[in-house]
Amino acid sequence: MSTQNNGQNDKKVMLDLKNISLSFGGVKAITDISFNIYEGEVRAIIGPNGAGKSSMLNVINGFYHPQEGEIWFNGEQRKGMKPYEIAYQGIARTFQNIALFKGMSVLDNLMTGRFTHMNKNLFYQAMWKGPAEQEEIANREFVEHIIDFLEIQSIRKTPVGRLPYGLQKRVELGRALAAQPKLLLLDEPMAGMNVEEKEDMCRFILDVNDTFGTTIALIEHDMGVVMDISDRVVVLDYGRKIGDGEPNEVRNDQTVIDAYLGVSH
Amino acid sequence: MSADFLYTLEVILNGLMAGVMYSLVALGFVLIFKASGIFNYAQGVMALFAAMTLVGLQSGQIPFAHLINAIFGTDLHHFGWQMPALLAIILTVGVMVLFAIIVEKYILHHLVNQEPIILFMATIGLAYFMEGFGDIMWGSEIKTMDVGIPSGGSFWLEEVTMTWAAEGERYWGMYIDKLDVVATLVALVLVISLTLFSQYTKTGRALRAVADDHQAALSVGISLRTIWVIVWSIAGFVALVAGIMWGSKSGVQFSLSLIALKALPVLMLGGFTSIPGAIIGGLIIGVGEKLFEFAIGSVYLGGATENWFAYVLALVFLVFRPQGLFGEKIIERV
Repeated sequence: MSTQNNGQNDKKVMLDLKNISLSFGGVKAITDISFNIYEGEVRAIIGPNGAGKSSMLNVINGFYHPQEGEIWFNGEQRKGMKPYEIAYQGIARTFQNIALFKGMSVLDNLMTGRFTHMNKNLFYQAMWKGPAEQEEIANREFVEHIIDFLEIQSIRKTPVGRLPYGLQKRVELGRALAAQPKLLLLDEPMAGMNVEEKEDMCRFILDVNDTFGTTIALIEHDMGVVMDISDRVVVLDYGRKIGDGEPNEVRNDQTVIDAYLGVSH
Repeated sequence: MSADFLYTLEVILNGLMAGVMYSLVALGFVLIFKASGIFNYAQGVMALFAAMTLVGLQSGQIPFAHLINAIFGTDLHHFGWQMPALLAIILTVGVMVLFAIIVEKYILHHLVNQEPIILFMATIGLAYFMEGFGDIMWGSEIKTMDVGIPSGGSFWLEEVTMTWAAEGERYWGMYIDKLDVVATLVALVLVISLTLFSQYTKTGRALRAVADDHQAALSVGISLRTIWVIVWSIAGFVALVAGIMWGSKSGVQFSLSLIALKALPVLMLGGFTSIPGAIIGGLIIGVGEKLFEFAIGSVYLGGATENWFAYVLALVFLVFRPQGLFGEKIIERV
């Protein structure tokens, strides 16, 4: 069944990471890691704490610039791009420790997520009436769809700082979705949630993948969840790749089991 | 109405309008602090520089004339034309935008992720640099500003109010400076439009987003550099408005840059992060110091209390409400 190992690779590679190495001063965070993400798949990145998962995500969205390696997105090699330029390319993300605009309402947070889709200049914005207003209305409509989709109608006007943790996570997902990303990066979308909230979040992630066809890369610690929702899994440990494949293959891989169960090296 | 009541009313009105002038300066601080966490010590000097540039352009002064004359032995001073006030204002706005771009490119850009105290020190350096640069560019003599804002007391109001006093009392009518009235209206329009802009436009939301979380802002496609240029441009514009008002009132001179210090107690009262706070804070300080001087200072303390009253009031506030009236409450979970 494996699509990548038997050579019948009919899927389009969206993101290709080749021999990525990243270090901070003398500390190596990522050592020579290569993997790719197919268009339309849910790709999980797992590994013990400090394995370099979040660093990997930060490399993909441009917060970190790897010292070595190549990043290819949709057939184009990335060269020295800033994070905000990468957002314009169609990569959106959420953060491990929720990074919402806390003083702003849910609606304003999602509207800010539409930033890359609004291009009327300052002059029009200052005039307000006319083009800027039309653009505002069109984008507001899209945001309302996201609000319906995530079932957060009732908290539309609430400042996000006042929302409970689980809902904040959902709003953060909403802000990323508002950008209509080609590639959605989720950093521990279910961390700190109870079972019910986790089930909701799983449902949303799968729905996003199904309905919008969004490609998703996610970091998650809950193995049950990872095995359930992802198409392929890449396993990191101490900044190196130790496993890559479909959930079943990875689950039975001895190196991966060792890394997770903490077998003495 | 008794004359005492009318005097008190006059003091309060004048206090409110003086407060508006403080608010104008405080507003510039709040804008930059909210967006970048920088306490911009140079805000007052920016007001002075903007005012000097406006007067210089309007009266057709040749920039750097002293310097050119000293080097080449020439005797340049004026182009010999008089520019319309509106055109001069528009050009000055352009200069302040240019200033914002330069500050971002050569200072802020190199200090990203530094401690607030380092950024603060940088703005002190910037303040003294601009002060000297402004002097070299436009000369250090005191200039008069005239962009057509009416000034002086309103005779109409004096005549009307004179009849309000009770029969037989010595009351000569209320003194209100027309310039203060204009300043109040301008400040009102400025605050309302800034608030609307930040609430309902894409860039306004981006400004608030950057104020809340840099990383998240980057991740949705907002360029911090662009936002900082916009914020410093708006702060430059606010500085120009403050410079025009203060300059028309008391001349364009070095002491103009010191009004920045008067904005400090306003900020302590209103909070560093709130635009309405800057306004209300200014009003409280304005009315407070005028009333205190009128009722207590001049009677029991020998006057001149306006110099320190604002700071004492701010100190009292700091003790009981450190985040200011409207500032975000600081809650730390332990």
